[in-house]
Amino acid sequence: MDRVQDTGQWVLLSYRIPREPSQPRIAVWRKLERLGVARLGDGLIALPAGDRTREQLDWVAEEVVDNGGTAMIWIASPGDLAQEQAVVDGMRTARAAEYRAVIEQAATVPADEAEGTRLVRRLRGELRRITDRDYFPPPERETARIAVQDLAERHITVGERA
Amino acid sequence: MRWATRAGVHIDRAACAWLIRTHIDPDAEFLFVDDRTAVPADATPFDMRGAELGHHRGDCSFETILRRYELHDPVLWKIAEIVHEADLADERYDAPEGPGFDVILRGLSMTCDDERVIALSGPLFDGLYEYQRRTVLLNRTPG
Repeated sequence: MDRVQDTGQWVLLSYRIPREPSQPRIAVWRKLERLGVARLGDGLIALPAGDRTREQLDWVAEEVVDNGGTAMIWIASPGDLAQEQAVVDGMRTARAAEYRAVIEQAATVPADEAEGTRLVRRLRGELRRITDRDYFPPPERETARIAVQDLAERHITVGERA
Repeated sequence: MRWATRAGVHIDRAACAWLIRTHIDPDAEFLFVDDRTAVPADATPFDMRGAELGHHRGDCSFETILRRYELHDPVLWKIAEIVHEADLADERYDAPEGPGFDVILRGLSMTCDDERVIALSGPLFDGLYEYQRRTVLLNRTPG
């Protein structure tokens, strides 16, 4: 073997869910968005393999089956590194955009302290949700964290921080 | 009775094991399997794909067991909210304790085997039950 570097392991979910009723189909779609999956094709999504991601996709699969669809879970490795890199880049770019939205909102000037407190609380929740689905952190992650912390220090009196 | 679940126990399975032992089957014996085909015929599977006692209709397995065994204790349902948020973090409930429990159980599963995680988390859930019971009785945060 003269491979330069090994590709990683991924957990894949291949699924079909009836178009109607639309509510369960949309619920599954939202769940996958929240998990930050890479969409490899129609009804085929991927996450880096791990206990947590495997379990999360197991339960999405169960939900698809409960709603009259079919679902299978696979553990797979990409055929070559370039392919894997493209998937990783896509996921990193998607997260970077989400962090940038947080950075932008953290730069706004709240009207008063109450509004500042609410904004900090909301952005911290947003950051936590993005970080939970961030498997290949872009530099924007740390920038966003600092931006929200700065906002907290500028607008919330010590002792009352959210 | 014998009960089977996936190896690598985390919050939902630990909470279910506690619930089974304290409210359904005091003599429960737990088996931890790597694959759902490995569940013996005489064991009741929980928190596994394809099991009745799993995630269904947006519920985590703890909630599914409460419904299936008709356990209406409001204290258990308060714990269910915490387990749900620790396991799924889908913000169906306001349970800020969830992320903390998630970290504690994940840490335990890194340093202990499944038997030990169940043994150590039991008293944790006993304490959580007592805390939530007093919260319900007093209708405020207990001191």
